[in-house]
Amino acid sequence: MDTKHIRNFCIIAHIDHGKSTLADRMLEVTGAVDKRDMRAQLLDSMDLERERGITIKASAVTIWHKKDGVRYELNLIDTPGHVDFNYEVQKALQACEGALLLVDASQGVEAQTVANAYLAVEADLTVLPVLNKLDLPHARPEVVQEEIENSIGIDAADAARVSAKSGLGVNELLDRIVDRIPAPKGEPDAPLRCLIFDAVYNEYRGIIVYLRVVDGTIKERDLIHMLGTDTVYEAIEIGRFTPTMKRAGELGPGEVGYFISNIKKLGDVRIGDTMTRHKGPKVAMLPGYRPPMHMVYADFFPTNTGDFESLREALETLSLSDSSFSFEAVTSEALGFGFRCGFLGLLHMEIVQERLEREHDIDMIQTAPTVTYKIVLKDGSEVEIHSPGQLPSPDKYEQILEPSARVTVMTPAEYIGNVMTIANDHRGTYVRQDHLSPTRVQLVYDIPLAELIYDFFDKLKSSTRGYGTLNYEISGYAESELVKLRILVNGKEVDALTSIVHKDQAEKRGRSAIKKMRKEIARHQFEIALQAAIGARIIARETISALRKDVTAKCYGGDITRKRKLLEKQKEGKRRMRQIGNVDIPQKAFLAVLGGDEEEG
Amino acid sequence: MPRAPEAPPPTLPRGRAPAGTPLYVHLPFCAAKCHYCDFFSVAAEGHDRRPTVAALLAEAERWAPREPRTVFFGGGTPSLLESAELRALFDGLERVTGFRGAACEVTVECNPESLDEAKAATLLELGATRLSIGFQALDDAALKLFGRVHDAAQAFEAYRAARRAGAREINIDLIYAWPGQDLAAWRADLDRVLDLGPDHISAYNLTFEEDTAFRRWLEDGALSKPDEELELAFFEATRSRLAERGYGAYEVSNFALSGLHARHNVNYWQNGPYLGLGPSAVSKIGTARGGNVKSVGDYVRRIREQGDARVWEEAPDALARLRETWWLGLRLAEGLSAAEARARAGFDLPEDPLQPIAERLADDGLLERRGVRFALSPRGLPLADWVARKFLEG
Ligand SMILES: Nc1nc2c(ncn2[C@@H]2O[C@H](COP(=O)(O)OP(=O)(O)OP(=O)(O)O)[C@@H](O)[C@H]2O)c(=O)[nH]1
Ligand code: SF4
Ligand SMILES: [Mg+2]
Repeated sequence: MDTKHIRNFCIIAHIDHGKSTLADRMLEVTGAVDKRDMRAQLLDSMDLERERGITIKASAVTIWHKKDGVRYELNLIDTPGHVDFNYEVQKALQACEGALLLVDASQGVEAQTVANAYLAVEADLTVLPVLNKLDLPHARPEVVQEEIENSIGIDAADAARVSAKSGLGVNELLDRIVDRIPAPKGEPDAPLRCLIFDAVYNEYRGIIVYLRVVDGTIKERDLIHMLGTDTVYEAIEIGRFTPTMKRAGELGPGEVGYFISNIKKLGDVRIGDTMTRHKGPKVAMLPGYRPPMHMVYADFFPTNTGDFESLREALETLSLSDSSFSFEAVTSEALGFGFRCGFLGLLHMEIVQERLEREHDIDMIQTAPTVTYKIVLKDGSEVEIHSPGQLPSPDKYEQILEPSARVTVMTPAEYIGNVMTIANDHRGTYVRQDHLSPTRVQLVYDIPLAELIYDFFDKLKSSTRGYGTLNYEISGYAESELVKLRILVNGKEVDALTSIVHKDQAEKRGRSAIKKMRKEIARHQFEIALQAAIGARIIARETISALRKDVTAKCYGGDITRKRKLLEKQKEGKRRMRQIGNVDIPQKAFLAVLGGDEEEG
Repeated sequence: MPRAPEAPPPTLPRGRAPAGTPLYVHLPFCAAKCHYCDFFSVAAEGHDRRPTVAALLAEAERWAPREPRTVFFGGGTPSLLESAELRALFDGLERVTGFRGAACEVTVECNPESLDEAKAATLLELGATRLSIGFQALDDAALKLFGRVHDAAQAFEAYRAARRAGAREINIDLIYAWPGQDLAAWRADLDRVLDLGPDHISAYNLTFEEDTAFRRWLEDGALSKPDEELELAFFEATRSRLAERGYGAYEVSNFALSGLHARHNVNYWQNGPYLGLGPSAVSKIGTARGGNVKSVGDYVRRIREQGDARVWEEAPDALARLRETWWLGLRLAEGLSAAEARARAGFDLPEDPLQPIAERLADDGLLERRGVRFALSPRGLPLADWVARKFLEG
């Protein structure tokens, strides 16, 4: 296919603005998917995506669109909208020449609308603004156009207007994509260069590599050299996503598809790597992807200590399809061997944990997420720590520096006061305020990242009736008066429950943490003492009274099955649990040092 | 990980249970439905009981063991049946199983409103060796709250009538720790029951079972449960008072004069086999268990049409059976040894994963070692379910 008949674009937007639904309509109007096989958000194929109704992974698909009698190959990438998955967006952008910036015309510009638009502009893509959900009676396209212009600075006067739900305007949008998004550059006869932008592990076919051809043509039977991992594999099958995998035999410059070579070794494929022909002319590596910036860290420990190696395998397999988290082995006095993992945010952490449990049947305990701290030691040297347990005793260091986030909140104007209050409660520093339209405001604050993950997200949602959205990036490190909050269970310190908190909040957070733990830990047949301590000082104490009576009165032949099920049910909730000393501590108790649903005071 | 293909689970044998298997017969009719009760039973009024009796006999012909070691007529309220109905049922079962000569214990559950001297005499004549009478409470207000249709005086009278008719073994059923019950009054009630000289007493802490009026009232806040400490006080007062009067606690809620324990029920706790007849009745044969439909009409129809009223079956694997054997067996004061548990469960894998759990619980003081056997300790007894869960988790 001549590159001038190819267009590569991705759909970017804030969460829930309708990207996947727009992709549905495009699949439908171009006839890629039969009406009877159609289902909502077809490209969200992961169980977790369907259950939560959000896109987690970007997916690529090839569709064919006819304009003025010419058939165009459109390679579309649907991306996730949630801030935690913006690494997926960044990967997608590098495989495209254009981006549709979708904005829900009933909601307006939100935090990730702006953030993703900037990413697209930075990546030198042609950005086409598209107003979606025009079918909604409260859609207000004119206001939203103004918001786009004020917040992003691109011309939105003739933004496309569509309804991804009804299909209104979708055909015209496809025409516009052909007209306005540049065709890929690249010579069919140039030395081969392909970008690996994703991969998944398939039990039968090995690793399926998702690629975009930049230069040259990749053909089946070619011997392919992956430069970064320095491995060579024969192209057994080359094809496109239509959206099912369809063999094509070869892919030319600008095209997007897959490569199968029965690769079983996980380490042999790296996302962002460059593929070329083995023993062909030497080519320069493509820029690839910059490493993801991990915002939070948490430790994963198998509930059965014997499952450590299975957990490692599971992490390795998962990291192929999600290259944005990191892991390294650690030991905890309380929990034994586990892994310290870095994530792009709390939702990302939750998704990784759930995928490990579902896709790999691993049962594990996770410690409360923490940010990276920099510790300036007495000798002037600086170390980074990713776990509160690593914080040395106060006589060993000079200073602790914590990461600060530049936080941009978009909110309807009536909630400005509320947002300011919670920003102040979270040690925020006011930076700026802009009106995007008479009813929509952008507030900028510097807030310690630790405060953001403590409970800022929840508080923002609840204080803006769900309308407030935020984006953030690390803006630097600053010295702060931080102390180590230790938790003792029956007099014994549990390293996995330690956290780092600001001195002024230490008492309150310590009290709240053990209050929550008291609710999460079931009564045992002995009394359990919970204590929070700062340094040597105990600042709070709770006791869980001993269980005194727990016995089924009646159990005869006809009751046994039901009684057993009842006993099993009572135990079921205990799956994710670890014993420390002789106390069973459930997962939720490990997260008690995070904020959230505790009653205040 | 590929899993090893599993053999299809064994099902209940399609024919009569092995000779000697204990037999349970469920009679689902009661004068009225008690508010705490979750047994399968229906108010008798308006029901023609004859088709049920006929179905029970038809079911027996197909499934019942010959010469059962023990027989238990439960319900429901078996004593509610007219003498003629009882005769048809017992004689019919005798023809099919020959239980009269074979069973060492034939228990019939009775309620005061339907047990007079003549009924008791009929039952004894038909082969009953043991009558179990539902007193439940000696406080008339409590009996009202329970939805019972008799008062305490009637219960005493039923007991005396049974003795007059010649009943040798009698059990009295009691419920304690009901909302508002006074501990001292309970002790006095126990004494009045003990003064009758029953052979066996079953005393249950009231439970708010699912799908009962009591559960609903508890959830609505119309009833409240005594706190845990008070329940424990009731539990312990009951055991010590009965012990003082010579009634050994051979199971969590069951007490008997020496040698007079309910053999039919002990078999349940030893995880032994049994064959159940009647709506909702459960059978355990070999390693499989299964139960009949919980509806009188469906039961009769299914038996008529296909000779079988089972609606569920389960076949726990060896480890699941071993777990179950442990927690059931620990309900008995005699306890069990690891080897006994394995034998009862039919567990023949080389490694016993549960013995270490028993050892650990013994080290923690929740179990007591008696030679090679383990039994709940005085501290472990009121925590029997907590202990049970340890065997289910490990
Ligand atoms: N009324 C209306 N609803 C729409 C339209 N487009 C999408 N929606 C609805 O908006 C919700 C979110 O749609 P998605 O397509 O999942 O949004 P998304 O942008 O892919 O979301 P993420 O992938 O999680 O970022 C769904 O309930 C859709 O049915 C539209 O044009 N009109
Ligand atoms: S008499 Fe017995 S079986 Fe019948 S409802 Fe009352 S408690 Fe239940
Ligand atoms: Mg989506």
